[in-house]
Amino acid sequence: MNMELSRRQFLAGSGAGLAGTTIAALGFGDVESAHAVSIRPFKLAQTKEARSTCPYCAVSCGMVIFSAQSKSAPGKMEIVHIEGDADHPVNRGTLCPKGSAALDYIRSETRVKYPMYRKPGANKFERVSWDFAMERIAKLMKDDRDQNFIEKNNDGTTVNRWTTMAFLSGSSCTNETGWLTWKVARGLGLLQLENQARI
Amino acid sequence: MSQIGAPTHDPIPIGSISQAPFVRLPDPGTLFASRAKRLRALAPGHGLGAYLSFLADLSEVQHAIQDGLPAVELPTPDALVRAHEHAMPPIDRGRFTGDAAYDATWTRLLAAAEDIAMPEAARAALTRVREADAARQAGMVADVLADAVAVEAMAEHVFTAAALQVHFARLAAGLDAARLVAVGDGVCPCCGGPPVSSVVVGWIGAHGARFCACSLCGTLWNMVRITCTVCGSNKSIAYQEVEGSGGTVKAETCDACHAYVKVMHQTKDPSLDPVADDIASLALDLLVREAGYRRGAVNPFLLGY
Repeated sequence: MNMELSRRQFLAGSGAGLAGTTIAALGFGDVESAHAVSIRPFKLAQTKEARSTCPYCAVSCGMVIFSAQSKSAPGKMEIVHIEGDADHPVNRGTLCPKGSAALDYIRSETRVKYPMYRKPGANKFERVSWDFAMERIAKLMKDDRDQNFIEKNNDGTTVNRWTTMAFLSGSSCTNETGWLTWKVARGLGLLQLENQARI
Repeated sequence: MSQIGAPTHDPIPIGSISQAPFVRLPDPGTLFASRAKRLRALAPGHGLGAYLSFLADLSEVQHAIQDGLPAVELPTPDALVRAHEHAMPPIDRGRFTGDAAYDATWTRLLAAAEDIAMPEAARAALTRVREADAARQAGMVADVLADAVAVEAMAEHVFTAAALQVHFARLAAGLDAARLVAVGDGVCPCCGGPPVSSVVVGWIGAHGARFCACSLCGTLWNMVRITCTVCGSNKSIAYQEVEGSGGTVKAETCDACHAYVKVMHQTKDPSLDPVADDIASLALDLLVREAGYRRGAVNPFLLGY
């Protein structure tokens, strides 16, 4: 917008302030100055809007997430509202009741934010690192695969099946993630692969 | 075959989610009247009440002079095809020259403006405009259309801009909305003008969509939300409002270009007008300016901020 810039520079060069305004030029300068003084006690409040994708199902509706200054934790922002993204080609601003209620999902006290682990015999979950979680899952998967992998069927044909394990993938995953999911799961011999990508 | 017990329903019309229109052309027959009404409603008790009342009178004049004006000269079919082909605004404001319709608009507006109650400075400016020779008048028209108004003649240009708004709204209203194409971020697809503000509308079929309002011709064009209307960036957008104002008018600030343009949430308050409420929310401009942002919008009635 070069037009707008040139206008700005022109005004800046003329010492623009209250003197160089349309309102003052029309003779309303005193009203304008009084108004400028009267608003001094007021402060700005900042809000933000961010785009995201609904996590619930494979339709993957666009969401706009609104946040404002937190009242309970000063200096931090908190999510105050969620609505459908009117610019999103999938849902054009609409959301189903589950998507509309996603605010409660975000604020839920039982929301899982970190990898959690419940030891065999323990009665509660504890927070663990991602490395621990990944290694633990990999180890259990490997043990199960070593034990139950079917290399050949009764006729002696090579089948390479692993039927005792299933793979559950996310509904909002992209095409690329879907491709990777397929490569990993099928490469291991998994037959039961669920992507929720059927809507 | 009759079905016993099982209720039957008409199929729900799934798949008919409507898409927001790309543009809504102005209706000059209601545009200025509703703006005048809004200004009139905002004025009582407002810090800028006197100025808002003056603008309400001026908007009423913009509405009243339209009866019986000569028809506007629309762009030629060749020019329309060329504009469509090359994604240019069909109304070429850079090469605008007055025609019979504009001359009549101008003469009538200045005559009618005489009856408006206004301060001495404004009346003196109006007299100077009426007495200006043809070359000076053409110069003012060119300045307003180039958004390069001289600081020493701001008051005169207010009346010129008011006449041009009427003329360009009538021009834009004569275009075919289906033949308009996007010409760039924050640029009016009808006349190439910058936005005065943007509105989040509550229209049926476009609820929650954002439209930029042209400062000259009043065209509303669809623009993706959470995007800077000045530079097109969506990296670092925030919204500033005056604390406790209810969030109906917010400044959309961009940290990429350090500019802001206001967003009016008609979904919260349908009476918001892109021009009237831009002026009435001057307090927001003053506060946002202190935060280090410059005004990216153009409003001929609010230059200098």
